[in-house]
Amino acid sequence: MSNISDATPKSFRLTLVNQVDEISKLEGYIEEIASSAGIDPALSMSLNLALEEAVTNVVLYAYPEGQTGEADILTTVADGVLTFVISDSGVPFDPTKDAKKADITLSAEDRPIGGLGVFLVKEIMDTVSYQRTDGKNVLTLTKTLVSGE
Amino acid sequence: MNIEIKEVNGVTTAIMEGRLDTPAAIKAGQQMQPLFEVADKEIVIDCTQLEYISSSGLRLFLALRKETSTKGGKVIIEHINDEIKKVFMMTGFFNLFVIRN
Repeated sequence: MSNISDATPKSFRLTLVNQVDEISKLEGYIEEIASSAGIDPALSMSLNLALEEAVTNVVLYAYPEGQTGEADILTTVADGVLTFVISDSGVPFDPTKDAKKADITLSAEDRPIGGLGVFLVKEIMDTVSYQRTDGKNVLTLTKTLVSGE
Repeated sequence: MNIEIKEVNGVTTAIMEGRLDTPAAIKAGQQMQPLFEVADKEIVIDCTQLEYISSSGLRLFLALRKETSTKGGKVIIEHINDEIKKVFMMTGFFNLFVIRN
């Protein structure tokens, strides 16, 4: 009887150009990964949220106005762990360095509009790490996939 | 992503259908202007057919909520699905809005 988490590592690549409408491609990408790795709808939505936030930052802010650039996404599922690696050749930007940690207990009047995205990524994913390597921003997000997650 | 705004029993209601991802949220900002104009009243956002909400979508909801807070109105969110409910709880949004089933 085969294990639910297949022993064979799987990897999925998606490259987006820095145009906002490209972000809609993430839906199909996540669906493909979820289907292949047996990820349930709730976790699938959370992963979609986290990935979308990371990718949106690249698409909107990594490259100077008028410059075409790419957001490269490599997803691997191996040994029950899903890893997103999002890289770009844009300006150095570390999204993990949040100026203020989002306070989710604040009232609507006091709640700042910003800070929400990074907070979500850190809540959803198990690890979030950033590196600047060879002129690229590389953001790595991991999530351990367990049944009943 | 479709947004239809209409009066339901005298209450301005926005019916959202589809996925509120980042591109959709940018367009939705313009489509939802009529709601910002009645921020002194009760506004209902019917999420029965809302499949997904990104952080961009959440920011939009928050902006509307802040406007009603300033102008004396109220935002009621109806029929969010279980996954979206989890996102609302994770972000503290569950306590910022009136959530109705």
